[in-house]
Amino acid sequence: MCGITGYVGDDDGLEIVHEGLQNLEYRGYDSAGVAVQDGGLRVHKREGEVSNLELPTDVDTDCGIGHTRWSTHGEPTDRNAHPHTDCRDDVAVVHNGIIENHASLKTDLEATHLFDSDTDTEVIPHLLEDALADVDGNGDALVAAMQSVTDRLAGSYAIAATTADADGIVAARQDSPLVVGHGDGEQFLASDVTAFIEHTRRVTFLENGDLAYLTDDGVTIYNDGTVVDRPIQTVDWDADAAEKGGYPHYMLKEIHEQPQALRQALAGRIDDLAGDVDLDLGLDPEFLRDLEEIQVVAAGTSYHAGLYAKHLLEAHADVRVTVDIASEYRFTGGRDPWNTLVLAITQSGETADTLAAVREAADHGVTVIAVTNTVGSSITRAADDTVFIRAGPEIGVAATKTFVSQVATLALLAVRFGRERGALTPTEAAAHLEDIHRFPGAVQQVLDAEPQIEALAETYADADWYFFIARAAGYPVALESALKLKEISYVHAEGFPAGELKHGPLALVTGDTVGFAVLTAGADPEQTAHNVQEVKSRGADVVAVTSDPDRLEDVDATIPVPAIDTLEPVLANVALQLFAYHVADHLDRPIDKPRNLAKSVTVE
Amino acid sequence: MQAVVLAGGEGRRLRPLTANRPKPMLPAANQPLLDHVIQAVADAGIEEIVLVVGYRRDRIQNYCGDGDRWGVDITYAVQPQQRGTGDAVLQAAPHVEDSFIVVNGDRIIDPQAISNVRDRHADTGDPAVAITEVDTPSEYGVVSLEGGFITHIEERPAPELAASKLINAGVYAFDPTIFAAIEETAHRGELGLPDAINAIAEDRPVHAVPYGGRWLDVSYPWDLLTVNETLLGEAPPPDAETATVHDTAVVADHTVLGADARVQPQATVLGGSAVGANVTVGPNTLLSNAIVLSDATVMGGTIVRDCIIGANTTVGPGTVVEGGRADVPLAGVVHEDVRFGGVLGDNTAVGGNVTVRPGTILGNDVTVDGGAVISDQIEAGTVISRG
Repeated sequence: MCGITGYVGDDDGLEIVHEGLQNLEYRGYDSAGVAVQDGGLRVHKREGEVSNLELPTDVDTDCGIGHTRWSTHGEPTDRNAHPHTDCRDDVAVVHNGIIENHASLKTDLEATHLFDSDTDTEVIPHLLEDALADVDGNGDALVAAMQSVTDRLAGSYAIAATTADADGIVAARQDSPLVVGHGDGEQFLASDVTAFIEHTRRVTFLENGDLAYLTDDGVTIYNDGTVVDRPIQTVDWDADAAEKGGYPHYMLKEIHEQPQALRQALAGRIDDLAGDVDLDLGLDPEFLRDLEEIQVVAAGTSYHAGLYAKHLLEAHADVRVTVDIASEYRFTGGRDPWNTLVLAITQSGETADTLAAVREAADHGVTVIAVTNTVGSSITRAADDTVFIRAGPEIGVAATKTFVSQVATLALLAVRFGRERGALTPTEAAAHLEDIHRFPGAVQQVLDAEPQIEALAETYADADWYFFIARAAGYPVALESALKLKEISYVHAEGFPAGELKHGPLALVTGDTVGFAVLTAGADPEQTAHNVQEVKSRGADVVAVTSDPDRLEDVDATIPVPAIDTLEPVLANVALQLFAYHVADHLDRPIDKPRNLAKSVTVE
Repeated sequence: MQAVVLAGGEGRRLRPLTANRPKPMLPAANQPLLDHVIQAVADAGIEEIVLVVGYRRDRIQNYCGDGDRWGVDITYAVQPQQRGTGDAVLQAAPHVEDSFIVVNGDRIIDPQAISNVRDRHADTGDPAVAITEVDTPSEYGVVSLEGGFITHIEERPAPELAASKLINAGVYAFDPTIFAAIEETAHRGELGLPDAINAIAEDRPVHAVPYGGRWLDVSYPWDLLTVNETLLGEAPPPDAETATVHDTAVVADHTVLGADARVQPQATVLGGSAVGANVTVGPNTLLSNAIVLSDATVMGGTIVRDCIIGANTTVGPGTVVEGGRADVPLAGVVHEDVRFGGVLGDNTAVGGNVTVRPGTILGNDVTVDGGAVISDQIEAGTVISRG
C-alpha cells in the first residue's frame, strides 16, 4: 500500500524518481507526488495516477523523493497527496503505513504548526521541523532529527524525508517495507526493488527500527543510534520483468510468463532418481514426522493457493491441514503448538494480515514456514524458515503467475513432507514429480489456446453474473477464477462447491447467467457433471473446463486442458485467467489498476 | 541508428513447429533464431530496435521484453496481417526517426553484415543492400548488378533463369524516403520490400554491399537441424547452471543443455544436440543430432537421431527415431535425400516401442499408441492406434 521512491546521485533525479513511481504504481494509484531539491525544495503532487502528475522539465536535481498513494487516512485529493511538508516548506516527507498516535501528536503540534491535510503523515514533517531546530546544523542533522521523531511515532511506517539543503535522504522503517539500492556514486530507495531494478540489482533490505542515510558517497544504516552492517544482496530478477514488453497490460504479460515462472519455481529442486525434493528447509525431520497438523494462513489469492495445498498435503503427506484467512486466524484450543506447523503464504511477504497471523502463531510457540515471492521481505524474518516461489516480480494487481507458482511450490513441499513422513514411497513420489515437471509445458499448451478463450470471452462478456462450480481441488480454483473475474472486470462472480448450489445459490441461476464447471482430474468431475445438469435445466449456459472433452454431453462450450493429474485444476485456472482478462478488456476496464484495489496489502 | 527487425512471419513451411510459435522463435543452439539476430544487431553497435511482430507475437514479447538482456531498447510495432516484408517495414515507420537498418528476424548473420550496409549508407546517403553468394539462389531473391549497384532483384526465379549466385541477404540500410517508395509499389495484396527496391533502382543508385560471412537460413524443418549443428560446432553456448547430468551419463562436446534439463543414468547426448529447458532425457536414451524443445520428456531406452522433438511432448520408452536420409515431400515438392529423422510436434504423446521412419512429420497434439510404426506426414490431433 503506497509506494515510496528516492534517489541521490548525479543522474536526472526527477526522472528516476518518476520512473520509480511508475514501476510502483501497483501499490496504489489514488494520488502521486514528488519533492526534489532544486535550490529550495520543489513539490509537485496531484490526485490520480502517476500519469496525471505534471512535472517540470527545467529541474536539475540530484536528490528527490516520490510517493504513489493508496488512501487510508484522508480522501484521495491533491491536498492529501504526498509528499507533505512542514510550515516553511523546508522539509518534505513521504510515508507508507499508519501513524497510530497521529491524533495526539497533531493536537500537540497544532499550537505552533499549520496543518494542510487530513493525513496521519503530516505530523512527521512538522515534528522534523521542530527537531531540526533543536539539533546542530551539520550534515547529519536530519539523521538525528529523524531518530528523535521516530522515537515518538507509534504504528507502522516506511518514511523517506529530505530538506532543502540536506546532503541526501533519510529513511526509516517499522513494519513497512523499504529497500536501498546501491549504485555507483548514486543510491536508490524504494518500497520494492522493482522501482529501481533497471539501475541496480545490489540491494539492502532495511529491518525494523533501521534508519538509513543516503548520500552520493553511500549509505549509512543506524539502528537504535548506532551504525549497523546490513548485508548487500544481489537480486536475480530480470530488469525486463518490471516492464510491459509490448503487452497492453502487465496482467497479460504475466499470464504469458507462467511457463517460465514455473520452470524457475521447479529448477534444481527435484531429484527424480531419489523421488524426493530439496527445498533447503532446516526443519527437524523428527518434528516433521511427529507433526499433527498444518495450519495454512493466507489472504486473497494466496488463500486459494492454501486451500489447494490442503488437498496436496493431506493426499501426499498424510497430515491434517486447516486453512485460515489470515485476518481470521487465532491460535485456539485443541492443538499442541509443538506438533503444529503454520504455513504462511504471501506473494509480497508484506501482507499485514498474514504477518499478524504469524506473530499470533509464534507467540504460542508454533513453528512457521513462509511461502513467498519476495526475498528480503518481512515475512522471511518473521518465519522460522522460508520457501521462495521464484516467480519474478508481479506488477499486475490481479495475481496470476504467483498463484500457479505458489501451487507448484506447495506441491513440491507436499511431496517433501510425504517422503519425510513415510506417506509416499520413492516410486509414488517420482510419479507425482513427473506430473509436476510436466506442469510448465501443460500451462504453455493452455496459453496457446488463447484465441479460442478470447472468442468465448466475447460471447459471454455481457452476462448478468458468473458462477464457477467445482469439487475437491477444483473448488479453490473456482474461487480463484471468480476472484480474477470480479477484480478486474467489476462484474459479479462467485465460486461455489458444486454440491452447495442446490442448497441456496441455485435460486440465483437464470438464463442470463453463465456457469463455469471445473471438470478436471482431482475435482471429482463425474459428480460435478450432475450439478451441471441442475444448472442447465434452469436455462444457464455452462462452459466446461476439462481434459476429457469427448465424455461431456450437453455443455454449451468446452475449454480443453491437458491431462496432468493432481495439478490439472490449476490448468483450468490458467484458462479462466485468460477468460477474465479478455472479459475485462472487452469491457474496457483499467486491468492493471482496478478501482479501490492495490497489490501488497500492508495494512491490517 | 535504429534497426528494424522483421519478426512478424509465421514460417508455414516449418509446420508443425510454427503452429505455436513464429519462425523467429525456433531454437538453434537453445536460443531462438531471433536472439542470434538481435545479438548481431547489438554487436554492430545499434542500441535501438523496432521489432515488427505479428503472428504469435506473445512468444516474441515474452522472450525479448524491452531488450535488456542485449543492452538494447526494443519497441514493438504490430503487423496485423502478414502482407510481406514491405508492409512489415511500413509498420515500423511511426517509430523510425532517421536512417535505419532492416534485418530479417529469422536469419542468422554476423554483425559485419549490418555494419557494412550502415557504413555504406552513411558514406553515400543511398540505399545499401547486403548481397551474398549461395548454392541455391533460386530459393531467394537473385540480384542483377551493374558496377556495384543493384539494378533488379528477382524473387525465386526458376533455377535456369537465375542471373547469378548472388542473392539479397535481407540486410538493408535506408533513409525514411523508403516508406513512400513501398507505398507506391503497393500493387497487389502483398508488399515485398524487393519490389520497392526495384522501383528505387530505376531512379537512384542502390548499393550492393558484398557480404561473405555467416548467413544461415531455415526454410525447411531439416534446415533447423543443420543450423543448430553448425552453431553448436562453432561455439556452443554454456550449459545452464541448473542442468543436471548423472555421473554415468555421457554428454559429448558440441551440445547444449537448457535450464533444469536432466540427463539421467547411462544416457548419451551426442554432438549436434540441443536439449531445452525442463527436458528429461531418460536412462539409457541416446540423442544424436537432435533438438528437444522445452518441457519434453524422452523416456528411457529411446533412440532419437536427426530429429526435432516438440515442446511438452512425451516419447515413450524404447521408441526409435531411426534418423538418416529420406526423400521428403513437402508442399508439392519432393526434397530428395535430406538428412532428416523427423519432427514430432508439440504436446504429442508417442508411446513405447514406436518406430519413427526417416522423414516423418508428426503434427501437434498427436497420440501414437505403443508399438506403432509411423512414417510420412500425420496431421495435428490424430490418434494412431497400433495395427
